Amino acid sequence: MYYKLPEFEYKRAENLHQALDVLKEGDWKILAGGTDLILDMKIGRQSPKKILDITRLGELRYVRAYNGKMFIGGGSRLQELLENALVKEKLPLLSSAIYEMASWQIRNVATIAGNICNASPAADSAPPLLIYDAKVKLSSSSGSRTLPISEFFLGPRKTAISSYELLEEIEVPTLDGYFQWYYKLGRRHAFTLSVVSAAVALKIENGIFSDVRIALGSVAPKPVRAYTVENELKGKEANVSEIERAVEKVAEDISPISDVRASAEYRFKATKALLKEALFKGMKYFGGGSG
Amino acid sequence: MSSTDLERLMNKWLSAQEFYVVGKKVERADTIEKALGIARYMEDYYMRDMLVIKQVTSKYPHARILSIDDSQAKKVKGFLMNITAKNIPGENQVGYSIPDQPLLADKKVRYVGEPVSLVVASDFDSALEAAQLVKVNYDPLPYVLDPLEAMKRNDVLVHEETGSNIAFRTKVRKGDVEKGFSESHVVVENTYRTSHQDHIYLETEASIAIPNLEGKLTILSPSQYPHLTQKIVSRVLGLPASSIRVVVPYLGGGFGGKDDQGPLTSAKAALVAYLTKRPTFIEYSREESIAVHPKREATVIRYKSGADAEGKLKAIEVEIVHDTGAYANRGPFILWRATMHASGPYVVPNAKVDGYCIYTNKVYQGSFRGFGNPSVQFAAESQMDVLAEKLGIDPLEIRLKNILTPGATTITGQVLDSSVGVKEALEAAALKAGWKEKRKAYSSMEGRFRKGIGIGVAWHGISTSRGVPDWSAGTVKIELDGSVSVLVGIVEMGQGSPTSSHRQIVAEILGVPLDLVHVYFGTSDAPDTGATHASRGTGVGAIGVYVASIELRERLNSLAAKLLNTDPEDITIVDGVVRSKKDPSKSMPWKDLVKSAYSKGVSTTSSGYFFLPKGRFDDEMGQGFAYISYSYMVTITEVEVDTELGTVKVLKTYPAIAAGKIINPVQVEGQIEGAFVQGMGLALTEEFKFSEKGEIINKDLTDYVIPTSMDAPEIAEPIFIEDRFKYGPFGAKGVGEMALIPAPSSIANAVSHAIGKRVTHLPITPERVLKLLEGR
Repeated sequence: MYYKLPEFEYKRAENLHQALDVLKEGDWKILAGGTDLILDMKIGRQSPKKILDITRLGELRYVRAYNGKMFIGGGSRLQELLENALVKEKLPLLSSAIYEMASWQIRNVATIAGNICNASPAADSAPPLLIYDAKVKLSSSSGSRTLPISEFFLGPRKTAISSYELLEEIEVPTLDGYFQWYYKLGRRHAFTLSVVSAAVALKIENGIFSDVRIALGSVAPKPVRAYTVENELKGKEANVSEIERAVEKVAEDISPISDVRASAEYRFKATKALLKEALFKGMKYFGGGSG
Repeated sequence: MSSTDLERLMNKWLSAQEFYVVGKKVERADTIEKALGIARYMEDYYMRDMLVIKQVTSKYPHARILSIDDSQAKKVKGFLMNITAKNIPGENQVGYSIPDQPLLADKKVRYVGEPVSLVVASDFDSALEAAQLVKVNYDPLPYVLDPLEAMKRNDVLVHEETGSNIAFRTKVRKGDVEKGFSESHVVVENTYRTSHQDHIYLETEASIAIPNLEGKLTILSPSQYPHLTQKIVSRVLGLPASSIRVVVPYLGGGFGGKDDQGPLTSAKAALVAYLTKRPTFIEYSREESIAVHPKREATVIRYKSGADAEGKLKAIEVEIVHDTGAYANRGPFILWRATMHASGPYVVPNAKVDGYCIYTNKVYQGSFRGFGNPSVQFAAESQMDVLAEKLGIDPLEIRLKNILTPGATTITGQVLDSSVGVKEALEAAALKAGWKEKRKAYSSMEGRFRKGIGIGVAWHGISTSRGVPDWSAGTVKIELDGSVSVLVGIVEMGQGSPTSSHRQIVAEILGVPLDLVHVYFGTSDAPDTGATHASRGTGVGAIGVYVASIELRERLNSLAAKLLNTDPEDITIVDGVVRSKKDPSKSMPWKDLVKSAYSKGVSTTSSGYFFLPKGRFDDEMGQGFAYISYSYMVTITEVEVDTELGTVKVLKTYPAIAAGKIINPVQVEGQIEGAFVQGMGLALTEEFKFSEKGEIINKDLTDYVIPTSMDAPEIAEPIFIEDRFKYGPFGAKGVGEMALIPAPSSIANAVSHAIGKRVTHLPITPERVLKLLEGR
């Protein structure tokens, strides 16, 4: 049910310096796009007492390529990233994931940092960033620190960010010569939360998996890498039986729940089906067996 | 004019072969303003100084109300009052078919979400805050949620006074079913289940009530029947109906939901406006809308059918259970329709059908496009495929062997004398779809992605059932400048009846240019035209203006004959030119004819009225006259199933409709496309999940999943079989609900074909598909 928006203290930062200065006081909730926060407040899931509006921080909206890496400003709107040719070319998984997210109206307001910091187990930008081994730059008035994204997510709506910090930038190494595959399984073809989302990147050299990266959404308390499956495959011959054997091990990487969207049992089945599809396609991409 | 004269004149127009605007793809009057976003809907009429209402709703599925405490709410600045059942000056009774439902819960609540009180405040925030602070003390009672359980239990009663949870029963008894089954070569029996469906109109419920002088009230109402709103408000306030004026703005979708909830929303606004003497606004949030307003019924249908070796149906035995929730509302009528349509559009010599409308402590059921028919057609059409499979006959062939044709008798013993175009529709759709080839090709598909093709055929009685009175009325007034004002109670809810087909009908008969015709719709100022429901906006709803125009045209023909020195039968009027057929050089402009009417004492106003002739129905035996005529619809649908993920993609559908004369083909296409996609939601994704307390868990658009345009399949241009209906305007029947009715069955039959397993439970979620594939 909808509730009256609770009263709160409000400040709007005009630049990053000002924002970090306010955050120093602690207990400020950041409003970046507001597409998650405001809704959460209306349904009573969050009721922050102090809100810092950073929607005007133009300096946090950028995409830069440097030295084999992409640097994305945390305040970049999802639609800006979707329309960015560099993102599309260098980070195809992220581009595909954003394409499937929400609607044009929401993508025009929602930010990439907001999607990450909201830390939903279903956060759509998370699996691609996990695949790329992205790092997040967390800044406060006393300086910045950088954290691998896999260490940033702690649990449902829990992250490693402190209340003094702001997610300023995401550093994303690009992958060359990889087969990259993304699939969002929702309950319809647009404007939906994922039941399972999967991102896969892999490389096969001389018929051997030289690298395999698998990230999954909505099947664990946080977006996860399927390290067990990855390790089962790395160094192995790329063939159907190896893939089928390895995919079964995904149970060690994920712990799906049953909810209004799907049962845990279905999520297991779907995850395995998606991983097999991705791995078979990858094998085919590198000229492997017909699957 | 006598009724025989009227029928003679109607027949003349019914047999018309040449048209100047009817049957043409004309543009609706509201196209531009809707495309530009300047059309005004309910909420757009809100003004800052209006009072606002927030509803306090029940948190229990079944409980006695001990007390309502608003002492904390009173502390909110802007709070005005908390209105409960006690404040209602008239009757707190809004039950539609049975007097079982209060406007505001009195003594007892029967579902989570039931309105208990109305918090009134000067602004939205105060209303929201105060509503949160109203404390209702309850004494919880035992409750029932499952209709099959509720049927059998008498210890927990949703309504004590009834002594049972069975709100209503229906039946059909024709021939001897035991004999029919014994003569059958195959007998198949299955149980089918369908789920609740919400209308999810883009615009949620809202209303504005404005007190006027002399104790009158003007109500802006998002309702499908202004005169029903007038009646209900009049009852709740204890005022004469004539002191209540209802105007319906453009509706942002109705689908039946605003037929039920519109009058109640308005009654709430009217109650507050009446008590405070101030203009009042109410608007439901989406969550509130889903929690409060009635849904399409969930059903359990046990269906047994038998056919001989050639595939001729011999008997059906059907038991239909509707979960009506906390109140009967229109449940008895919905069940009645489902019962009479249980055979599908087929000849069945022996039939036994029993229907049960069951109270449970859940949100109640109500009108929804298709009105009880999509679920029972799903069961009937699935049975046809199962029989065909057992007999080794093609699903198309078995249908053609049994299909209704002119002169056939229905399961209620009614003989259908004319306007039965379903066979032609089915044959044409099958041809267009490439049925035979695709059915064969898809049958041998293997691997992960499998295609299937399925048929859904449906019939749908038009107008009210049995002898329930139905009529149409409307006023047509030719202004001195030659333009035409039309006044009807039919509303514009996206379908375009008053903004297109009514204008076309009036323009065609009077012979005036279309842009001279202006329709004032959705108002209680018009004669009672009946509701805009049951696919009747054009087919039945426009008979009144059709008749009024015919009467005016007779007068004008006589006048023109005098002016042009010929006889009335010789006059044609087309696109504003009045002419003699024999001597086309004798002519005059329409505007001059109108001026002459004003100067020569010919009345230019006519109020048309037509009362549909009905027959008798014997409720004891469930035999007799059920409906005045039927519309028919075929959808042949192709799907692709991902057998690993269990997902279903609807690829394409081929629609064919037999709904009499098509007044505006574009409007009908729009209705078919929208209805098919809404039916696809019912078939594939839409389902409410209830908590242990009977509360809807997914009452938002995140987790109640309706299809988007990205999910919509390709929809082939519809095939029209114009099997004219003798009382409809130019022979028009109804269209609005039609494509939704066979859509789920065609999808379910296609999925069953693709995976080689029988679908019996809607929606066909990926999990259900995987379970079927695994044989569970």
